[in-house]
Amino acid sequence: MIARLRSIAVLGLLALGLTLAVSTSPAQAAAEEGEVTLEGIVNNSILGHATDGYYLNLKPFAQVELPRIMLARTEEGALTVEAYGSTAGLLRNGPYGLQAHDGNGSGDHGQAALKTETAELNEAIGTGEHLHSSVARTSGHVVTDFSISRHLVLSILAFLIVTVIFVTLAQRYERGVGRTEARTFLPYLLSSFFFILVANILGLVPFAGAPTSNLAVTAVLAVMTFVIGLLYGSKDHYMELLTGPPDAPILARIILVPIEIIGLVMRHLALAIRLFANMLGGSLIIFSLLGLIFIMNVIFGEAAAWGSTIISIGFTVFILLVKLLVAFIQAYVFTILSALFIGMSAEEHHYDEDADTSASEGDLESRLDAVEDAIEPTPA
Amino acid sequence: MEAAALAYLAAGLGAGIAAVGAGIGIGWLASSSMDGAARQPEAAGDIRGLMIVSAALIEGVALFALIICLLLVFTA
Repeated sequence: MIARLRSIAVLGLLALGLTLAVSTSPAQAAAEEGEVTLEGIVNNSILGHATDGYYLNLKPFAQVELPRIMLARTEEGALTVEAYGSTAGLLRNGPYGLQAHDGNGSGDHGQAALKTETAELNEAIGTGEHLHSSVARTSGHVVTDFSISRHLVLSILAFLIVTVIFVTLAQRYERGVGRTEARTFLPYLLSSFFFILVANILGLVPFAGAPTSNLAVTAVLAVMTFVIGLLYGSKDHYMELLTGPPDAPILARIILVPIEIIGLVMRHLALAIRLFANMLGGSLIIFSLLGLIFIMNVIFGEAAAWGSTIISIGFTVFILLVKLLVAFIQAYVFTILSALFIGMSAEEHHYDEDADTSASEGDLESRLDAVEDAIEPTPA
Repeated sequence: MEAAALAYLAAGLGAGIAAVGAGIGIGWLASSSMDGAARQPEAAGDIRGLMIVSAALIEGVALFALIICLLLVFTA
């Protein structure tokens, strides 16, 4: 019964996490095809590929826009859910306008700068600008953006790949080769390992991207570990967390309790940030190396650009190989650390000092005997 | 514009200092784990696993710095 409640709690958390992953908004600059400027390279090519977006980029063939689903509050105060097939459809048919993009992007609530005219919108859609700027409601406001983003599509793809492979494997396993005792946390740990692994490797596939380079996705995984740790936490763990170590004086406990609690949260925050930053960092390095070619072209001219192309491509191949290594290492590290954190909270401490010391003394004596035996071999 | 320039400068310096710190940390880790593995080759497998976990923990701190640098660049 309790196990079922726990699994329901974990499922609910997953659903919550998916909505969070969906609602992250991309902060991207407007795309200018053709014209090559330094700002354009940095804003479009580098950031555009590394961050999330509401389209699938199959560049030489097509660009598929993803559905937009908005939970909005109208001016009268009623909640509505509006679904459109694409961002272009949202702008053409819905009460939405395009936020005009200015250099700094964030901070201002420029209602005046909202593009709503059909001609303006058509022009923006023609140049593909609507995919890189944010949309806003003309009347009322958007409560939550439930739109399907690229990283969500890719996470579902990773989930499907893992499911297909492992359901097949599990069926073969059922038929009975070397079955061992399943542990409580093994299903979660292995699922997260293979999901992260497949998601990381998707980052190396053309036209795809790593869903794990989205902080929302990694944060959900870390929160799952955190909540499993809380659900299965032992009484000793909670006692130590909330009242400090049992043999510490009161004053020390006042200092130690906040540190313990902050440490617990920071451990899991670091878990999320580590995976996210590793995956984002890899793609940022690759795009920086490729962007170097265009930067050389702008600053030093065409010859320097051709020269740096060779170097850049070489380094890019090297970084891609490193990324393949990192994909495995990070999946491993996430799983190992999750296991460590869950284990830390689930294990029961035994504070029986006397028994412990006497045992170690006895151990020491037997060891000394062994050493003496080794030094002075008994004459045979 | 001045503030943006300072933010870019801070991001660059911060990334550099974080790289120095992480480099020193992982360097020490690698040196001592290699010592350990050389002295006790039969424990090399255990040492490798522990090394990867501790390297990830050290790297995590450096990545916090990286994220702050990225935030500086993106919001500048």
